[in-house]
Amino acid sequence: MRLRIAYTKIEDARYIAHLDLTRVFERAIRRAGIHMAYSEGFNPRPKISFGFALAVGTEGEREYVDVDLQQDMDLGEVLARVQEQLPPGIRLLQSRVLDQGAKSLMAVLNAASYRIRVPMALPIQAERLQEAVSAWLGREHVTYSRYSKKGPTDKDIRPWIKHLEGKIQGDEVIFDLEVEMGNSGSVRPEEVLASLRELENLPIELDELQVIRTGVHVSYEGGKRSPLDEREA
Amino acid sequence: MSNCTAADIRRQVERFLPKVLKPSRYIGSEWNVIKKDWDKTEVQMAFAFPDVYEVGMSHLGTRILYHLVNSYPEFLCERVFAPWVDMEKEMRDREIPLYALESFQPLKAFDVVGFTLQYEMSYTNILNMLDLAGIPMRTEERGPEDPWIIAGGPCAYNPEPLVGFIDFFLIGESEEQLPEVLRLVAEQKKNPVSRQDFLKRVAQVQGVYVPEFYQVTYKADGRIEKIEAEAGVPTLVEKAVVADLDQAFFPTNPVVPYLEIVHDRMMLEVMRGCSRGCRFCQAGMIYRPVRERSPETLLRQTEELVRATGYDQIALTSLSSGDYTCIQPVIHNILEKHGAEGVGVSLPSLRVDSFDVDLAETVQKARKSGITFAPEAGTQRLRDVINKGVNEENLLNAAEAAFKKGWSTIKLYFMVGLPTETQEDIDGIVDLAKKVANLGTKLGRRNITVTISTSVFVPKSHTPFQWEPQESGSSVELKQRYLREKLRDRRLKYNYHDVTTSYLEAVFAKGDRRLAPLLEWAVKHGCRFDGWSEQFRYEVWMEGFKELGIDPRFYANRAMDYDDILPWEHIGSSVTKQFLVEEHHRALQEAKTIDCRYEDCTGCGVCPGRGVQIELKG
Repeated sequence: MRLRIAYTKIEDARYIAHLDLTRVFERAIRRAGIHMAYSEGFNPRPKISFGFALAVGTEGEREYVDVDLQQDMDLGEVLARVQEQLPPGIRLLQSRVLDQGAKSLMAVLNAASYRIRVPMALPIQAERLQEAVSAWLGREHVTYSRYSKKGPTDKDIRPWIKHLEGKIQGDEVIFDLEVEMGNSGSVRPEEVLASLRELENLPIELDELQVIRTGVHVSYEGGKRSPLDEREA
Repeated sequence: MSNCTAADIRRQVERFLPKVLKPSRYIGSEWNVIKKDWDKTEVQMAFAFPDVYEVGMSHLGTRILYHLVNSYPEFLCERVFAPWVDMEKEMRDREIPLYALESFQPLKAFDVVGFTLQYEMSYTNILNMLDLAGIPMRTEERGPEDPWIIAGGPCAYNPEPLVGFIDFFLIGESEEQLPEVLRLVAEQKKNPVSRQDFLKRVAQVQGVYVPEFYQVTYKADGRIEKIEAEAGVPTLVEKAVVADLDQAFFPTNPVVPYLEIVHDRMMLEVMRGCSRGCRFCQAGMIYRPVRERSPETLLRQTEELVRATGYDQIALTSLSSGDYTCIQPVIHNILEKHGAEGVGVSLPSLRVDSFDVDLAETVQKARKSGITFAPEAGTQRLRDVINKGVNEENLLNAAEAAFKKGWSTIKLYFMVGLPTETQEDIDGIVDLAKKVANLGTKLGRRNITVTISTSVFVPKSHTPFQWEPQESGSSVELKQRYLREKLRDRRLKYNYHDVTTSYLEAVFAKGDRRLAPLLEWAVKHGCRFDGWSEQFRYEVWMEGFKELGIDPRFYANRAMDYDDILPWEHIGSSVTKQFLVEEHHRALQEAKTIDCRYEDCTGCGVCPGRGVQIELKG
């Protein structure tokens, strides 16, 4: 039985690295006394797969995992038993049984949305914020330099942006951002904000920004669906 | 930030945590973690492992004692590890004090900070951790508001280089001793007496060594004149020992880390002690006598471990698990019961002669990676000197069986620089390696690898070789170079330990309390994580020796006399000095000594001296 489960990865669980997450689920399911299905071959591994990795330290309000079990079981019972064995911060939200031949999460997911809170370095008026965001979105290309061991590489990040909106709350700015994700990469929320500060002179304090990934989606002809939507599962 | 609260620390740390390597080292909310209420416990202890999280969490003793202390409702125990250099820098830049993982309370807030001494090269980390915690390194600079700084573990059998930093040491097995000490700390909190009076009281507990009650005087040539104990404390501090291992505390709900640690599996201690009597091996002497756990206990513990951890592998640990008399039925029963859930067994410490390759095959899950044998020396003569009861035939038979069963990588462990070693013994390593490789080729195996690893012999306290010097670094390096030349063969791979690290290890293994200022100097000059080759700064250490006028050769390369007063003369493993002298003689005569488990008592002195006995369950 193949399951797709939506869960949170918040609080202390946000520090669990993506590579370690498989083990966390694997052990929780084993503690719950539920038998997982294993891969064939030399070194059988339980069949557990995730969508796009969440950066360490970023909270995820709605992430997804696919798990293969040896036998059919009652969905509610599986969730209840596994939930009991999961560390704080990982809460199972919803799930469904996948159809035979349903595509993997990596194959269907292609968008992510974020909520970013960032303190102002200098006071910012609402109009100033709107102007900056509109001006930035109005650009056809936005070049951003990524630095790696090999040196800087320039990249146009604008094509990845599907939606960006900012509002002021006290002395913080709250951004809602939606980006496309794909096998050829994506853009990180930090990069969008850094670019916004640089190109539009928006005085925001990037050292103190807090990013939450509010969801990952299947983006489809202008709309977006959850990977739990029956058309995807 | 010297008076930070737990909440302050947590808030500060969370700001930069995603930027450091492996943040989950520093958050302490793993599965099975124990978070107790500070206000509802009488004594708060921080268990400190002076190395990174992945190393410390792999150590069984740490797991045992963490859960043991927490099993008492009146005591609380939290963990702290050495923050890796990137984390240390962030903490120092922001003046965040070292904190314990469970509560984020600063170390300074605890009543007791207990370090485990697993290897000499972690000593600088101890001092660095104290410094990072804002706790004065030196005992005389600490006040009544500071925690008691205590230490135990195998290196506590020669604790002298740490005298001046540690208030008292716990020698031997702590399952009964540590709770007794904590009870005295609780009493001290309720009705405080002077430091002196408290320490006198603690010194009455079996195996507790309070260094300030022992005065050491020296001869003009630097050797020890005498070690004098003050009135009211034992002249010889003998180790604590658990008489009934089967009934001893063992945690079956251990903490399950998020990140992958060095030994990332369940650990089941099948027995304690080893009576093989290898003459270089400190563990083989200090953990006597051999005590096995019963198969019933082990199976019950396995069941509980699987339920509580969700791990898919269980390691049967001890100094030599192939010698456990019920090893076959225990493995069989574990696999029968839990094999279907995907649980496999591993045997981390096997010896050629106890090693039944069939056994290895049963436990090996699917992939046949590598199999390790430890002949330790290249010729029979030298193996007799060290009392490693293994011969070439045993090794070749085992290697043949392994090749036939499908293994393609065989690892062979040796030591270089053993007492009486000659060129012939070095050539013996080459011979043996080639014989093993040829065997594989002869059996028609292609793509085989024989990995030869040599470590440098480090003489250890409380062993028959404690009087021996370490061979000079330049001479060992010549031997390593020779081996590198001779082991050029595409089937062979040669690894060797760094000579400089082993040299420093020998200095501290055989050192005395005059080395304490050097440790402090080294830490102030940036030494830490000395066991990590990329962090080890040999030049700084050498500069320190020069600066403080200490000759490292005096400790590492000097042969000691039987009538020399050893720096650890006042610490007792309950194996008599007379036995060690006799064993040293027998080594030089190339005479083997039998294993008392199967044959007559060899007179090491542990059983009659301590009213304990060998406990076999098979």
